[in-house]
Amino acid sequence: MVGMNRTRAALENVVIVAIIFVLVQTFLEDFAVLAGWSWSVRRVLLFTGFAFDIFFSVEFLTRLYFSFVKRRTGTYFWYERGWIDLLASIPLLLLSSGPAVLAYWSGTATIVGFGAILNVLKVVKAIRIARILRLLRVLKIFSRIRHTESAMAQRHVAKISTVAVTVVVVGILAMTVLFSLVGAPSLETAYREQTVRVLTRIDDLQPEGDAGKVALTELADIEPSLLLVQRDGHTLYSRYGNDLYDSDFGSTDYGYGERGDLRVFFDLTLLNQEQSRSNLLYFAMILFIVFAFMFYYSPHFALTVSDPLHIMRRGMSEKGYNLEIKIPPLYEEDEVYRLGQLFNEVYLPLKDRTSAADEPEVLDLKLDDIKDILNE
Amino acid sequence: MSAEHQKATAFVTRLLANPALKSLTPLQREEQIIQFLHANATQLAPTLATPAFFPGASWNQIVALLLGALMDYVNTELFSSLDEIGGGQIDFAYVNFLRQQSVGSDKVQQQAVSLVKTLLAKPEARREFTGAHTALVFKFVDRYLDAVWTRKSYIHFEITKVQRLRMSKEQVKAMIETTLLLKPVVYLVATGGVAGQAEQTSGIVETKFGEKVFLATKKHLNLVPDPVLKSAVSANISFIENRFIEATARIAAIFSARCRNFQPSVRVDRGADSPDKSWLSIARRNYKFYGFDIKMLDEFFSIAAENGW
Repeated sequence: MVGMNRTRAALENVVIVAIIFVLVQTFLEDFAVLAGWSWSVRRVLLFTGFAFDIFFSVEFLTRLYFSFVKRRTGTYFWYERGWIDLLASIPLLLLSSGPAVLAYWSGTATIVGFGAILNVLKVVKAIRIARILRLLRVLKIFSRIRHTESAMAQRHVAKISTVAVTVVVVGILAMTVLFSLVGAPSLETAYREQTVRVLTRIDDLQPEGDAGKVALTELADIEPSLLLVQRDGHTLYSRYGNDLYDSDFGSTDYGYGERGDLRVFFDLTLLNQEQSRSNLLYFAMILFIVFAFMFYYSPHFALTVSDPLHIMRRGMSEKGYNLEIKIPPLYEEDEVYRLGQLFNEVYLPLKDRTSAADEPEVLDLKLDDIKDILNE
Repeated sequence: MSAEHQKATAFVTRLLANPALKSLTPLQREEQIIQFLHANATQLAPTLATPAFFPGASWNQIVALLLGALMDYVNTELFSSLDEIGGGQIDFAYVNFLRQQSVGSDKVQQQAVSLVKTLLAKPEARREFTGAHTALVFKFVDRYLDAVWTRKSYIHFEITKVQRLRMSKEQVKAMIETTLLLKPVVYLVATGGVAGQAEQTSGIVETKFGEKVFLATKKHLNLVPDPVLKSAVSANISFIENRFIEATARIAAIFSARCRNFQPSVRVDRGADSPDKSWLSIARRNYKFYGFDIKMLDEFFSIAAENGW
C-alpha cells in the first residue's frame, strides 16, 4: 500500500513537471512562429507538442480507467477536473499536433486540390484555434499548487479560476468556429480571396512565355504570399532558393492550389504569425487571470472568509485559544464577520466564564513525547 | 532520597524538559504537568505501576509521589525567581517613603518573599499565584504603567489623585509589583479555596474576609506598610462589591488574571486580534463576573490596541 502510494505520488510529480514543461512548450511554439525561428527548431517543438499530447491523452485514459474501476467515473470527470484532462489531451492530439505531425510525414500540411483553398484555410484555422485548449493545462497545474492553507479557499479559488479560464477558452473557440461558419470577414477570408485571385491571374497569364514570365515576376512583386509556380513539374517562378525553403519553411508554413498541370504555392507565414500572436495574447490573458486569482483573490478570500472561520473553529475546539476575530470596518456587514462579532461578544466571554473554574488546557505535551521512558 | 522519589524526580524532570513548556514560568509548567497527569491517567497508571517505576503503587500514590517531586523541582526554580524579583526587580526603597521612616528595604523584601515562599506550600496558593508570578516575570507592570503615565488618563488619575500616591512612576510600579507578589496572602487564612471566597470560579474574596486577612498578614509582615498590605489583600476583592479598593489593587487583579494563562510565544493566527487586546476585550464583557474596574480595562484595552499587544 505504501509502495503504491509512493508510485502514485511519483507519477503525480511527473505529471506536474510535464504540465510545467508543456506550458513552456506551448509558449515557445507560438513564440517561434512570431520570432521567425528556423523550421528545424519549430519541428522539434512540433514533435514535443505531439509527445506531450500523447502523454496527456494516456494520463487522461489512465485516470479514466482507474476511476471506472473504482466506480467513481462521474466524480473524477465532473468534480476532479476530468473534463479538463479530456479537453486538454485527446482533442489536441486529434485536431492539432496529430494532423501537424501527419502532415509533416506526408510532405505538406495543406494538401488540397485546386479551388479548395477556402477549406484549407478553414481547416488551418480550426486546427490552429484548437491549440487554445492547451491553455486549459494551466488549470491542471493550478489545481495542484497549494496556494493557501485553507482547503475551502483552495477549492473556491480553483473553481472560480476554472470558470473564468474555461469561459475564455471555450468562448474564443466557439466564436472563432461561429465566425468561420457564417463567413464573417477575417484575415483568413481576405487571404483566401486574394489567393484565388492570384491563381486565376496566373492561369490567365500563360506564364510559359517570356512575356508571361515577366508578368509573373511583376505579379510576385505585388503579391508577397506567392512562393512558387510550377507547371508539369517545371518551376516557372520561385521567390527563394531551395535551401531557404528547406531551412525556413515547414509543412504548416505553406499551402498550394492546382489547376490542371498548374501548381501554385502560397506563403502562410503571415497568417500563422497572426494566429500565434493571438495565441500568445490568450496565453498571457489566461496566465494573468490565474495569477490574479492566485495572488490577489485567494489571499482576499482567505483573509475575509477562511481566516475568521479558522479562528472561530480554534476558539471553539481549543480550550486555551481565546483570540478575538479582527473585524475590518470595511467588511463588518459580511455574514462571516457578523458571525465573528457574535463569537467575539457572546461566545468568547461565555467560554471564559464557564472555563474560569477549570484547569488550564494542556498545551503541546503529548504521551508520545515520553514514549521512550515509558517503554524503558 | 528514596529510590521512588528519585524515579519520580527523573520522570518529572523529563516532562518538564519538554520544549513545548520551555517558554512558560515554573508555576505554569507545574500546572501543565498536573493537567497532563490527570488527562492521561488511564494510559499512565498501568505503565507507572510496573516494576520499572513504582511497582504495586496505586494511581493516587503515584500521583502523590510525582506531585511531591514536581513541587520540589519547581520550587528550586520558583524560589530563585522570587529572590530575583524581590532582590532586584522590585525596588523596595518606596517603602521608606510610605512609612515616612527608614526601614532597610532588604529586610522588607526578605520578609515579603519569605512569607510568599511559605504560602506556596499550599497547592491552591500556588495555583492562584501563577498569574501574579507570570505578570512579574514578564514585567507587565512596566509595560502598561509606562503607557499609563504617558496618557495621564483614568488610571493615572486613580493612582495619583484618588489613591493619592505621591510617588514617582517607578515607585508606583514597585508598589503594584509588591501587590502582585503578596497577592496570595489571602491563603494565610483561606484554605482549600473555600473560606471567604465570594465567587468560587473567579477567585475573588469578600471585603470582610479581606479585612480579616489584612489583620492576620500584618502580624507576619510588620515591616511592610499598611497601604501595600491593603493593596495586596484588595487585589483579591471585587471592585463591583467594593468601589473603594485601591487603584494598585485593581491593576494587580487585572494583570494577575491576564497572566493566568499567558503564553509569551503564542502564535497569533492571521485575522486574529493580538493576545492582550483579545483578553482585555473579553474581560471588559466579563468585568462584573471577575470584579474588575471596567474603566481600567477600557484604558488597558486602548493601550494594548495602540501597541499591538
